Amino acid sequence: MHVRTIAQGLFIAAVVSVVGVASPAVAAAEGEFADPALRTKITTLTNGLTLLTLEDHATPTVSLQVWVRVGSGDESRFTGIAHLFEHMNFLSSKNLAPLGAEAYTRLVEERGGRINAYTSRDVTVYFEDVASEHLPLMIALEGERFANLLVTEQALKAERQVVIEERRLRSENDPEGLAFETLMALTYQAHPYRIPTVGWISDLEKVTAADCQAFWETYYAANNLVIAIAGDFDTDATVALVEKHFGGLRRAATIPRNPQEEPAQDGERRAVAHYPVQAPIVLAGFAAPATGHPDSDALDIAAGVLANGRTSRLYREMVFDAPLALEPQAFYWELQRAGLFMAGATLRPGVDVAKAERVLFAEIARLADEPPSPEELRRAKRTLEVSWIRGQGSAHALASRVAQDYVAFGRIEPLAEKLAAIERVTAEDVQRVVREYLAPNKRNVVHVFPQAEQEGRP
Amino acid sequence: MRAALRAALITTALSALASCANAPAAPEQVAPAREPFAWELPPVVAAEKPIVDAARLHRATLANGLQVLVLEDRRLPEFSAGLVALRGAALEGSSELGLASFTAALMERGAGERDAFALAAAAEDLGADIGVSSDWDTLRASTSGLSRDFDALFELLADVVLRPRFAAADAKRAVAEQRAALAQAKDDPAALAGQHLMRALYGEHRFGSPAGGVDATVARFTAADARAFHARVVTPAGAILWATGDLDAAAFIARASLTFGAWRGAELAAAPPAPPVPAKRRVVIVDRPELGQAQIAIGHEGIARTDARRLEAQLFNTAFGNGGFSARLMARIRAAEGLTYGIGSQFSQRRAPGPFAITTFTRVPEVGKLLASTFEELERLLTDPPAGEELERARRLRTGGFPLALETSPAVLAALLDLDVYGLPRDTLDTYRARMREISEAEIAAAARDLIHPERASIVVVGPADALREQLAKYGEVEVAAP
Repeated sequence: MHVRTIAQGLFIAAVVSVVGVASPAVAAAEGEFADPALRTKITTLTNGLTLLTLEDHATPTVSLQVWVRVGSGDESRFTGIAHLFEHMNFLSSKNLAPLGAEAYTRLVEERGGRINAYTSRDVTVYFEDVASEHLPLMIALEGERFANLLVTEQALKAERQVVIEERRLRSENDPEGLAFETLMALTYQAHPYRIPTVGWISDLEKVTAADCQAFWETYYAANNLVIAIAGDFDTDATVALVEKHFGGLRRAATIPRNPQEEPAQDGERRAVAHYPVQAPIVLAGFAAPATGHPDSDALDIAAGVLANGRTSRLYREMVFDAPLALEPQAFYWELQRAGLFMAGATLRPGVDVAKAERVLFAEIARLADEPPSPEELRRAKRTLEVSWIRGQGSAHALASRVAQDYVAFGRIEPLAEKLAAIERVTAEDVQRVVREYLAPNKRNVVHVFPQAEQEGRP
Repeated sequence: MRAALRAALITTALSALASCANAPAAPEQVAPAREPFAWELPPVVAAEKPIVDAARLHRATLANGLQVLVLEDRRLPEFSAGLVALRGAALEGSSELGLASFTAALMERGAGERDAFALAAAAEDLGADIGVSSDWDTLRASTSGLSRDFDALFELLADVVLRPRFAAADAKRAVAEQRAALAQAKDDPAALAGQHLMRALYGEHRFGSPAGGVDATVARFTAADARAFHARVVTPAGAILWATGDLDAAAFIARASLTFGAWRGAELAAAPPAPPVPAKRRVVIVDRPELGQAQIAIGHEGIARTDARRLEAQLFNTAFGNGGFSARLMARIRAAEGLTYGIGSQFSQRRAPGPFAITTFTRVPEVGKLLASTFEELERLLTDPPAGEELERARRLRTGGFPLALETSPAVLAALLDLDVYGLPRDTLDTYRARMREISEAEIAAAARDLIHPERASIVVVGPADALREQLAKYGEVEVAAP
């Protein structure tokens, strides 16, 4: 009921804002507010590039994000090439070459802007957050590197080492990173998500500039890009600028995609990684549906009931009642081509991993056997709802949200719709998804502990 | 400068062409004029808007001395609020290491009419957060949630600040958790490197041990210790109550007066003594034989938050190691030499002078090379301090990035609180950019000379001692420590 009210309020607010008489004060006084993302304008250029513009003059800042629909889930020959290429895209381009190394970052940073990029299993995202007067330059710079990137062996040589250090930092020297990498490879046997996004060192060492060039030609096409701009700018002028700088990019006839099928799992899988840790790790993973699936919200709520906050079941059992862990976690990770439900904990020093695992699985089993209480369901829903409503204060957060939605669903999902879907989930839904996805014969279990401990085991 | 030069050349070429319009022009002498690239145009300069909208900012001081700071922002139906007490871990004596952190943890576990579970449930029922944390100089309680839940959350906050229960059973759990967290931190090479650098620099001074304490002291904490520390530190004479978001400032101040007006507490504790300046370099290997990548921390003494040279320090450090990808350390050691994924330098500014530290990591065989490059850059700060275009770029990074860093109301509120915590001028946010533009090259060079001391910078490397010893020998006598 409460969500229906919000939905109606949003609808009214959205219509009113179009005719320019929206009053935020009145909306706030009534407990409603306008979902800013609903004002997003979607423009498609003739080469297939999609532009999302969300004009919002609240603060004199703007976020420009270029989302490329390519991630490590698209790699075929060399693991890590999507991410390595993201690094290459900062090095040099035809018209910037005269300005020397690192010209992109220097031009942005000397204007006080933030520039960075990230790669996931599905996407590679480049962004600049700047004071609004610098947006035209940012569009020109992004247009330049997407049109005229220079990929050379020499540039690749240094950047390859940088990426290998990044891999050591995140996976090889980080026990939790190691556990996660092991879990993904265990859960997915056929699906390309089994590959770590940062790649394997042996592959990174063999990628050539020609491989990077071919990767660029395959995936960095206009119809594989979504640009999101949020903040303080004029929409018409900005659309014209994007057309000027990106309109000339080529459209690809086809963009190859890897097969996405994962054979059904019937039987638990286990892996052990030895690492000289004080705090051992137990982590379980279950193949789960991709983003946008009707069961997504129930899985989020199941994760919340299990591990969100001090009232959660795992906190009670593994922290409060028994000193097994510090902060148990459960999380539904929605990706575009598959999902993963994870549950586990970094344990207290000296705790037996097998014992902690029994408690973890007993709690998952209990949620399959009996639905969450009304209080548990309400808390988990409220936490999700509040997290959606909050955290939209910056231009960067808004640009990310609209781009994420558009890349995943081909449209901007109204907040009211997200909230209504959460509100619809019943206790029985939660029980059903736990039974269906988190069954013992579908689980994948990783333990991380030092070698010496293993030797003493029966 | 480059853009201006190019524009000048184009103009010259065009005027040359015009002046001999009747003569046959040699086509190869004049490139066809093209539209300049956006990056060739001079940077756009926009009028600076004030950071703080005075109409939304409200302050009050209650009769008991409690300061109140409110920044209204009605755009989203949410708020956050909290109380900052003006003393923290730096106050702890040698048998109390980690007590501020322990007190904070225990304040979260039961207050007023509610035990630990009921308190957590009351906040989580609203999808909200309530938490207490500590750092060197403060102890902070805060909550955030939807504005329609303000009344309930504000009462929870008041309970946590004024009426924590400090139950013995919860104290036992909190001790076990803090000890486990300290042990777990040793699994993180970066945390280990930082801890050992602080030990090398500050020894027995409070800054020589982690803010979260050490196992020997934490193991002995009881509920009574937390209760006593709370009484000593959480007091209206040294605290600021704050709020930002979708709320009415006058109503908040009235509510604050009702709830906190009768609160009485101790005098504000005297500030603890500053640490001694480390006399000489130490070189420490923290032996972790299994690591393929070594974590490195290099440092010496730095400055206090209120140091008169803090802006000069910020400006030269922007060019040196805290200016994104363009800083000297990143440009050389990451981009040109490919030795690391990240390297940065920071002045940790506290009420008493904290350290200046460079932190990075590289593959074990390259540690010697990375240290050599890093020390060359540290020396170069003295022989070739940032000037000219490099200094201008650093200046523009700071002034241009300032409004971006203060884009949201919680960020502005946090910056205003920080000024009050350290007693810095309240108009700092609106004078900062002008002051950053005024700092001269000579002032930068003088500040670098004052504050950078390569010869006594200590070095800590976490990694396999056998592979590292020789690479470090040239920097001094190498000590090997256990994690």
